[in-house]
Amino acid sequence: MEKKAFTRGWMVAVAATLLVVSLFFATGCSKDEASSKGSGKTLYLYNWTYYTPESVIEKFEKEYGVKVVLDYFASNEDMFAKLKAGGSGYDIVFPSQDYTSIMMAEKMLLPIDKSKIPNLQYISPLVLGKATYDPDMSWSVPYFMGASGIAVNKTKVADYARDWSIFADKKLAGRMSMLDDMREVMGDALAHLGYSVNSTDDAELAAAQKLVNEKWKPNLVKFDAEGFAKSFSTGEFWVVHGYAEAVFEELEENRWDEVDFFLPPEGGPMYLDSMVIPKGARNIELAHQFIDFIHRPEIYAEFLDRFHFPASVHTKAAELMTVEPFYQGEDLANYELKNDVGADLEKYNEIWQTIRYVN
Amino acid sequence: MNSHIQEKRGRRLGITYSAPMGLWLTFFFLVPLCIIILYSFLKKGLYGGVEWEFTLTAYRQMLNPNFMRVFLRTLWVAALSTVITITLALPCGYAMARSRHQVMWLALVIIPFWTNSLIRIYAWIAILSSEGFVNEALKALGVIGESLPLIYNQGAVITVLIYMYIPFAILPLFTTIDKFDFQLLEAARDLGASKPESIFKVMIPNIRSGIITAVIFTFIPIFGAYTVPLLVGGKDSYMIGNIIVDQVTKTRNWPLASAFSLVITVVSTIGVIWMMTSTASERARLKAPAQVVDANGGIT
Amino acid sequence: MSTSPKMKSAAVAAKLKKQPKKTRLEPSRLVEAPKGTQGPYKLPKNQMFQDHRKFGFSNIMLVLVIAFLFMPLFVVVTYSFNASRGMRWTGFSLQWYYKLFFDSKELWRAFANSFVIAITSSIVATFLGSLSAIGIKWYKFKSRAYIQVVSFLPMVLPEVIIGISMLIFFTAVRIPLGMFSIFVAHTTFNLPFVFLLVSARLEEFDFSVIEAARDLGATERQTLMKVIVPSIMPGVMSGLLMAITMSLEDFVITFFVSGPGSTTLPLYVYSMIRYGVSPVINALSLVLILGIMLLALGFRRFLKTIAASS
Repeated sequence: MEKKAFTRGWMVAVAATLLVVSLFFATGCSKDEASSKGSGKTLYLYNWTYYTPESVIEKFEKEYGVKVVLDYFASNEDMFAKLKAGGSGYDIVFPSQDYTSIMMAEKMLLPIDKSKIPNLQYISPLVLGKATYDPDMSWSVPYFMGASGIAVNKTKVADYARDWSIFADKKLAGRMSMLDDMREVMGDALAHLGYSVNSTDDAELAAAQKLVNEKWKPNLVKFDAEGFAKSFSTGEFWVVHGYAEAVFEELEENRWDEVDFFLPPEGGPMYLDSMVIPKGARNIELAHQFIDFIHRPEIYAEFLDRFHFPASVHTKAAELMTVEPFYQGEDLANYELKNDVGADLEKYNEIWQTIRYVN
Repeated sequence: MNSHIQEKRGRRLGITYSAPMGLWLTFFFLVPLCIIILYSFLKKGLYGGVEWEFTLTAYRQMLNPNFMRVFLRTLWVAALSTVITITLALPCGYAMARSRHQVMWLALVIIPFWTNSLIRIYAWIAILSSEGFVNEALKALGVIGESLPLIYNQGAVITVLIYMYIPFAILPLFTTIDKFDFQLLEAARDLGASKPESIFKVMIPNIRSGIITAVIFTFIPIFGAYTVPLLVGGKDSYMIGNIIVDQVTKTRNWPLASAFSLVITVVSTIGVIWMMTSTASERARLKAPAQVVDANGGIT
Repeated sequence: MSTSPKMKSAAVAAKLKKQPKKTRLEPSRLVEAPKGTQGPYKLPKNQMFQDHRKFGFSNIMLVLVIAFLFMPLFVVVTYSFNASRGMRWTGFSLQWYYKLFFDSKELWRAFANSFVIAITSSIVATFLGSLSAIGIKWYKFKSRAYIQVVSFLPMVLPEVIIGISMLIFFTAVRIPLGMFSIFVAHTTFNLPFVFLLVSARLEEFDFSVIEAARDLGATERQTLMKVIVPSIMPGVMSGLLMAITMSLEDFVITFFVSGPGSTTLPLYVYSMIRYGVSPVINALSLVLILGIMLLALGFRRFLKTIAASS
């Protein structure tokens, strides 16, 4: 009898622990929602790190009396793997064009109610012309369009080509890095050779593979998407392929003159990040309000100022900007959006393996 | 080893005590592992996930010579780092065991081990870069004129891997050396053995279980390392851990990631069983004389 | 198989009277004496055979390795006082500390998430792991070997694989990704460590004391609460401590199983460093290092047990 009571005691203890834990999580969630003032709503954003200034978020929170919770992803692939695996509950996600179209195809998105977003009038028709997968913004609203470029440390390098061939320069061997990103590097090579960055033609891809493996890779220290800006700022790397905002963020402002950041004129892959509302979103109304808020000219200019971005998708914000962007919207003229290549991605994978896994 | 009183009752109590953890691990660890095994035999979905169609494609893809090359490189890096780690950790464990300030040394070994690993890896980038601490110090001392290429190569990967896992090796070595009877060393010395001789012939065999634990605790995590080669490695530093992560996040090939995981699981399981049996047999060996002395205790 | 309980209790009584002479150094002597035992913590044997040379090979190695382990921490602390954000020293400043404490809402939210998960997962893991260690150590039953293997594997399997398998599992059984899934994952990888720590402690535990307690009429519950639990407490506490720190530190597994509103500190640190806001992170590091040192000071009696388990 004692033994039975004892066993039962433990069972009760285990059950109680589990109950306490589950209660903890349950209250944790509801508290989250209750604690915000005003309408008591919480907007969940899934965004790139440092892509929406905190000042903008705070203004939105104040104006609408809501709370905004941000989670970050570091690549489209991470974000997609997470959502594909069932990570729902976000109200707005910021995928790039290829993943926007994949998410549309996979029926992971909710439609945009354009009548609720009057500021859509400011979206540049040029950009929508490029967004062939969703030209009338039924599923996605452009957030920003830009491209990766090349940053050169002028204190270390005097004489260099201002295009993709810089990576073939043997003088700079051991001082250069390119992004650890298959579509970016392949796209650069394809563009340099005069092909489309979305090519699925075997001969063109083979030529690009040859260019990267034989001309560029021997001069690179590594393919780096995480630490290149840090190593650029320490002087370890002299030439890096990457995003302007990452490069300049690592440098003290008085050293910005030392850097030449440019987009190679032959063109290359470009990205268009959009705001989409995924299925499972809890605050659809608020999500629309947020999208509208972002495209208010003065708010959008604040965002551009923060990162020194060009006003590539917005027709009104450029005149409200107070800083000089790192590159101009016109620089993107020859650039092409990276589209989803479907099953042909396998071709890219195979080539990328020879670039990345073989020395 | 233990006395098992009242077998029937003991069995029931043992199960009651152990069932919660057993069930938890079965449900949240073993079942996921089984899904991994299952996924490895399915067809990859175009945008991630799997299609329910049996295929051995993943295993065929695994035989890809590019992967095999990375696999061999990983094996080599893991083996080399493990050997160096153990070589460094052995004298440390020895010195700690013989020190008067064991607790202090333990704290000093453990405290850095408790600091966020990413922060520490990034600090290594600063230490090893061409204008970093090591190079500047060497230049100031006049040892070198030009900066040495210390980062973004295999050397940096191995250095930082050793750094990351040396506490895993020191702790088990310290505990076994601490249990070791140093009188045996004295005896060996009295019998004319040199110091190294007494250490290699008397002490090392006696602390075998600690060495095996240290090897496994170092080798297996290094074999699956992912962030270290990514952040401090060069273009030739990709390891199996990176490939597995790439298969999930970049190429969306979940079956291939699963197949890789399965292979590593099998290797780890063999390692664990080897470790458990070898420590068990050694314990039995060491226990034997103790049982004779401990005559009034229960011998099972 | 075993002697009768009567004989045993007699043996225990005899044991209690004259301290049995140990033939080799028992781990119990290396760990601080449990509460209630008299006398300070001593290392009787080792002291006699202490290495006399302070600068022997092994001592020098130890100092060098400790320096190696601390080198990155010094770098981090130095940069946290740098006036500029870059990696060049431009002067002393406390601005990053100001930013950390007054202008890092997201960071502290992540810290709160990490904290909640660390506490809950380590408590559950400690409870289940300790219980299981007691069961495995003292009783014989069929699934013992199974539990031992299952409890070993998560510790030696690469984190990447645990993370991916859990991601797939949570998807398959429709557990939404978020705080709860992180809690489950952390509990899972914490369990083996607690289990091992408590097992190590039990290894040193004199089983006859329990039989003595039973012979003296103690019920199972009394034996557990009055005899077993107090004596394994150091193991349990160090297991808890280890679990908390492992949970606070984990990046790879959490990366795979996190969801909306559940960004933890390591995830945040990772996403932050990629875009170069490092000085605040450096400041945070010093704060965390100091916090950990305080913790370590408070828990230093348990450090030994942690080591004993590995």
